[in-house]
Amino acid sequence: MIKSHHVEKATGVGDPQCFKGEAGAAKFKVGDRVRIRNLPDIFYTRSQMYLREAEAVVVKLVYESPPAEDEAWDNTDSPEWFYSLLFKQTDLWPDYPQKFSGDTLETELSERWLEAV
Amino acid sequence: MANRENIMRHLNIVGQLQPALHQPQHAPYPDQIDNAHWRAYTRASHDVGGEADVPITWEEKEEEVWEHNTFVTCEVLAWRGMWNAEERRRRQNVDVGQTIYLGLPYYGRWLMTIAMGLVDKQHVKLTELIDKIEEVKQRAKENGGKVYD
Repeated sequence: MIKSHHVEKATGVGDPQCFKGEAGAAKFKVGDRVRIRNLPDIFYTRSQMYLREAEAVVVKLVYESPPAEDEAWDNTDSPEWFYSLLFKQTDLWPDYPQKFSGDTLETELSERWLEAV
Repeated sequence: MANRENIMRHLNIVGQLQPALHQPQHAPYPDQIDNAHWRAYTRASHDVGGEADVPITWEEKEEEVWEHNTFVTCEVLAWRGMWNAEERRRRQNVDVGQTIYLGLPYYGRWLMTIAMGLVDKQHVKLTELIDKIEEVKQRAKENGGKVYD
């Protein structure tokens, strides 16, 4: 079996650590408000549909890695920053009880899914 | 928030796409599928968050030996460069299609994906795999094993 580029790169270093420093300057910083882009979702994605067009706050820049849509075919030449994002549950679900309006949901998306608000 | 309304409508449609038997919806003519349904059909089938569904019972199930073995085999294949974890997820959660994604046990999909990956990447020919499965079945029969034909 032929070893893929990906496994050679990650062996002994870890993944996503092996992509550190490859995504360039981050477009967003902690505290920025962003909106999730409703990009096409054919074939593969890890970006949940229920987040699209909703707004969130960046709480952490977590790591650099190829976006899932690339990595799923072992395309690893364009890593992006991944952001941990905080959403209000009442922004995501129309029937979420206002009594729990302080509830939040935190999840990670790569930079291509975000636009500045 | 018209865009959010579209998102919620999408989640509602995909919930309705859950496989149901005896509903003739085969090979529709193009004008029988609107854009919203095209998008719902072609989404990644593991993106189930927000779909309307019935509650399922939580059970604390121990993993079985074959499930551990399946997991380890997948990791070894990654280590040998056949795939990475994201490609494995794509194959076992999305490429299989919605009926198999919802219908087969979790590690059953992992195991099937190993065989499919080995065939796709030409490490094993499908005829070789078929012959091997048949050989093992016959051997099991001869040894009094239970075999599904």
